[in-house]
Amino acid sequence: MEHSKHIWRGAILLTAALTALVVGRHFLIPESFGEMGFYRGDALYEFMASPPVHGAPGACAACHDDVAAAKAQGGHRTVECEVCHGPLAVHVKDGEKVGDMPVDRSWQLCAHCHRYLAARPAAMPQIDLREHLDLGPQDPFPAEACLGCHDRDAIHSP
Amino acid sequence: MNDRKHAPGVSRRDFIQAAARGAAGMAVVMFWGDLTLVSANTVSGGPARGREGYAYDPTQHRWIYLVDVAKCIGCGSCVRACERENNVPRHFFRTWVERYQVSRTGRTWIDSPDGARDGFAPLVTGAEITKAFFVPKLCNHCTNTPCVQLCPVGASFVSPDGVVLVDEQRCIGCSYCVQACPYGSRFIHPETHTASKCTLCYHRLAKGMTTACVQNCPTDARRIGDARALGDEVAELIATTEVRVLKPELHTQPNCHYANLGGEAR
Ligand code: HEC
Ligand code: HEC
Ligand code: HEC
Ligand code: HEC
Repeated sequence: MEHSKHIWRGAILLTAALTALVVGRHFLIPESFGEMGFYRGDALYEFMASPPVHGAPGACAACHDDVAAAKAQGGHRTVECEVCHGPLAVHVKDGEKVGDMPVDRSWQLCAHCHRYLAARPAAMPQIDLREHLDLGPQDPFPAEACLGCHDRDAIHSP
Repeated sequence: MNDRKHAPGVSRRDFIQAAARGAAGMAVVMFWGDLTLVSANTVSGGPARGREGYAYDPTQHRWIYLVDVAKCIGCGSCVRACERENNVPRHFFRTWVERYQVSRTGRTWIDSPDGARDGFAPLVTGAEITKAFFVPKLCNHCTNTPCVQLCPVGASFVSPDGVVLVDEQRCIGCSYCVQACPYGSRFIHPETHTASKCTLCYHRLAKGMTTACVQNCPTDARRIGDARALGDEVAELIATTEVRVLKPELHTQPNCHYANLGGEAR
């Protein structure tokens, strides 16, 4: 029986290794890991918690009902206010105005959607910029090229 | 000898054996969760219900996405909205828009200047363009994800409601997933140095809102639906009309579907 100590040594080493594994896992693996799958369950709830930047549709109407009502009647009824201006979070917090809402008066804003492109669906109203503005091929674009004729009310409700 | 050094009745051998048994018992109680190497949840894909006390239950939804290529005007409003909503670093994209222009001979020009963040300008190809369209792209939130499978640390995962997400705290930035995604939907964030991607605006969905890209699309080209909601319009469209997915040959089973998608689109 003098060889039995080999078995004991092996058993002790194995037990020590298994203990190290189990104890190591306990401290290395976050508690919520495996709650819903092979990932940290808390991560999902952390994603849920971050605050939205854009408001819900119609959030602007609470304070700008005149513009919202006009917009609902015109060609831009499907265009959210935040597309042309900016996200609600920079402007309003807890029902109070906290910052200025950007107002983009550049022709580029309109060109995003209305400049003629071959790939655009034909039903979309499109313009050839230079033709519409009556500019020669070399003339520079005035920065606020569209606002002279399409004024504020016309833009909100074309 | 025993009688001299120890309390009568308890031999050294007995004491050590009892102590060892006690310690083993304690260890089993303490580390039982760790001993069950594969928990029941990992196998079954999650619990039947979400956590108590949260308004949103991820197990009760199944998000699906539908892009109508025929409606997309290529304005890039979605790209700008996504950038603002999710604080996407400049020159990186969680969603972007590609333009396809096909000539009579079948030659195809594909471009997406700065992800279409600033829209498109006319592209002079010198050929007769007979077909042209825009293809908005985003993470396809595949059912059979190539990206999640190979994450070595369990940072990439598919949520119970079908959204592919990255746990920033666990991600080690090895970028295996970035290379594995056949749609180019992932990137390494230049500041956090972790994988970053479309979250389907999970924070908005959880509050009953829609995604920033869907909300800011002026033509309804992008829509999101819940396949577990009764009578969901988007789910109905996907089920009953002709829709395609990108790269179907890869069998990734995207949950992002495309209507009126030209065969040239990749
Ligand atoms: C198609 C793009 C577009 C949309 C959609 C839009 N706006 Fe505007 N808005 C503009 C532009 C451009 C101006 C600047 C007009 C000018 O100065 O002549 C403007 C001006 C304004 C102003 C006046 C700002 C100032 O300093 O004079 C307010 C207020 C405003 N918008 C609110 C709204 C609200 C509220 C909505 C949604 C109901 C909305 N807008 C939707 C483009 C838009
Ligand atoms: C809590 C009320 C409230 C909400 C909600 C709100 N605004 Fe305003 N907004 C204001 C006030 C107050 C002003 C300042 C009005 C003034 O000076 O006449 C203002 C001004 C503006 C201006 C002019 C520029 C500026 O900042 O002074 C724009 C443009 C504007 N709002 C757009 C929007 C849009 C777009 C939304 C929706 C995303 C929105 N607002 C939602 C209260 C609100
Ligand atoms: C986010 C995209 C978008 C932006 C930006 C935008 N528009 Fe529009 N616009 C539309 C859509 C969509 C329509 C409605 C098209 C339809 O009726 O099918 C429209 C309609 C119009 C119409 C009416 C066309 C018609 O025949 O009924 C005019 C005029 C117009 N826009 C001018 C402008 C001007 C000026 C600007 C810049 C301040 C602008 N738009 C910015 C998307 C946009
Ligand atoms: C010189 C005045 C003037 C300027 C500047 C101007 N427009 Fe117009 N625009 C008009 C008039 C007038 C109409 C309506 C007549 C028509 O339908 O052609 C119109 C119509 C439109 C339409 C609708 C076209 C259609 O097919 O229904 C769009 C879109 C438009 N403009 C966009 C713009 C944009 C974008 C700019 C700036 C780059 C701009 N406009 C600058 C006068 C102007």
